[in-house]
Amino acid sequence: MEGNIAALAAGLAMVGAIGPGIGLGIGFSKAMEALGRNPEASGAIFVPYILGLALTEAIGIYCLVVSLILIFAPPA
Amino acid sequence: MPEEEGGGGLLHVSISAEPLFTIGPLTVTNSMVGAVLASAILLFLTWVFLRRPQLVPGRVQSLIEWPIEWISGIVEGTTSRWKGYLALVTGLFLMILVANWIGLLPGVGTVGIIEHHGEEEVLIPFVRAAGADLNFTLALAIVSFVVFVWWGIRINGVGGYLMELVGEPRYMAPLMFPIHLISELSRLVSLSMRLFGNVFAGEVLIGTMLALTTAALFVLPLAFFVPAVFLGLELLFGAVQALVFALLTMTYITMAIAEHEGGHDEEHEQSDPASHTAAAST
Repeated sequence: MEGNIAALAAGLAMVGAIGPGIGLGIGFSKAMEALGRNPEASGAIFVPYILGLALTEAIGIYCLVVSLILIFAPPA
Repeated sequence: MPEEEGGGGLLHVSISAEPLFTIGPLTVTNSMVGAVLASAILLFLTWVFLRRPQLVPGRVQSLIEWPIEWISGIVEGTTSRWKGYLALVTGLFLMILVANWIGLLPGVGTVGIIEHHGEEEVLIPFVRAAGADLNFTLALAIVSFVVFVWWGIRINGVGGYLMELVGEPRYMAPLMFPIHLISELSRLVSLSMRLFGNVFAGEVLIGTMLALTTAALFVLPLAFFVPAVFLGLELLFGAVQALVFALLTMTYITMAIAEHEGGHDEEHEQSDPASHTAAAST
């Protein structure tokens, strides 16, 4: 039974991926807007864009790590 | 229950690296083998590069030069002291890149010895992607953390560094000092967990896809292409994560070097673009 509850908890932990998902979408859309406005700036946009996506994505990755730990190494 | 604990019959995942053998007090795990392998590949490439460096690079030489030149181009634009951390940023990028891509080679994570844990048979692979072990990523993050704190202390002095942690209105210190301290330490956690999470999740993803499609293989031989798609994605993610780790290290060092503004850079940069675009559009 504990295994089942850990699996449920793992699924619930991934609810936290909603926020970073929205954030990534906003970041990407803003980057595309900036690119559309000024296509020559793609080089200047790229690095801050990747950094921003990485910082946002990290939150989702935390959820994923918690979820994976719950699946593969559930606390006794 | 047993098939749930193993995460499905074909798939066995261990969150920590499995020990292979011991040399004295040192327990050698399979992720250490992966890390040493990555270092060996980088050293071999360096040797190839140093054997006959030419002014007009050949095919191999330009393959080695290209990522280094690209990263150098990004680093050189940051501060006037870029020479002090160029080697670190480039080294982090190359090491993580090679370590991530080693995990995607066929045979890594699949070739190993079978150990018996009770009635369960567990495959202990000889090589594991180094990034899929928190020890490796945490070690890299500690290196990067020590370097950017050291830069902050070197530029501003110990007092200046502490003042930066205290923040701008001095009377808010009791509230802001712990917050700044935690945000400083959270960089350590986020740097290591981001890399670990990405690489480990990638391994699990490919393993899951293989386990799912191997069952369908007898019906549909095309099923091999499904994991192949994710292998391609992991190739991309491995490069992006290496770049992100290197660039974040660079950014933290840059923020430590920028005097005065230090910890407040972020807030200003976040509020400023609106006025910039407004000024640009008028």
